[in-house]
Amino acid sequence: MPVEMPRADPATGTRTALSPEVEVTAEADGPWCTVVWNDPVNLMSYVVFVFRRYFGYSRLVAEQLMMQVHEEGRAIVSRGSRERVETDVQAMHSFGLRATLERAGED
Amino acid sequence: MAHAFRRRPDGSLACRLDGEEKAILTQVAQETADLIRADLGIDAERDVLRRAAESEDPLRRLEAEFAGRDAREPSDSAVKRLFPAASEDPGLAAEYRRLGQQDLADGKLADLRTVMQVLDATGGGHSEIVVDDAGAMSMLRALNDVRIVLADRLGLERDGDFDTVRMLQQIGERVEGMERSGDEEHVSSDIVIAVYELLSWLQESLLRALD
Repeated sequence: MPVEMPRADPATGTRTALSPEVEVTAEADGPWCTVVWNDPVNLMSYVVFVFRRYFGYSRLVAEQLMMQVHEEGRAIVSRGSRERVETDVQAMHSFGLRATLERAGED
Repeated sequence: MAHAFRRRPDGSLACRLDGEEKAILTQVAQETADLIRADLGIDAERDVLRRAAESEDPLRRLEAEFAGRDAREPSDSAVKRLFPAASEDPGLAAEYRRLGQQDLADGKLADLRTVMQVLDATGGGHSEIVVDDAGAMSMLRALNDVRIVLADRLGLERDGDFDTVRMLQQIGERVEGMERSGDEEHVSSDIVIAVYELLSWLQESLLRALD
């Protein structure tokens, strides 16, 4: 599985969205989602870097997602087909982030 | 004395480390790679499988083909953090592990190897460490994986735990000044704390240079 393919997902095109919550729900283009969980090791700057570099998110969106992980314990960082989400989870694990896949709407 | 990463005019990234810092980094990277291999049974199993796959006996070849698809569940607490369950559903998590764990392990081992090679190429003394963008990505991931292992050994579980560990260490130093207790476990955790701080600092500095 290729794990380090920086990609800008056309489905996440709402780059100007102020809230990541709005962004990820607005583009509900698949029944699965990638969840990143909080942990005491990963530096905040590293998590933001990974979200920007891998998903192609703007700094603002990446920072909001990171804060959501930090404060709420978890955040949905991508949605899509099961195959797509599996690739995203694998990539997060390659960066050392704790990630799981979930059926959308489980939480 | 270490100097932070900076972007050079040719686009590469460079930092300076002394011989001792390089030796420590190499050692913890090697130990992390050894831990992953031992816990997931990577080298040993592969040898057995390769022999079985080359066997004359078609049944053994078939067996090897199926065995090769099994991914061993991590048992070490740090390796569990490096290879976490991909789902809260155990069946889904097991299937995911079977399909992806080997590639994930290969990637992590390759990153650790890259870091060791970069350090090794600079010789023993104080020197400049130069990486291109791909090397920087390997280094970021490898530094993070080593930090995950050290954090596990320090018992860090929640945000702020490292600050607590650090504070206890400082209190310990003060108390030691009075009653001098030099037990081994205490000394080794001081070293782990120092290495963890060095790695965190280096990773942060690389992130800043990449930004």
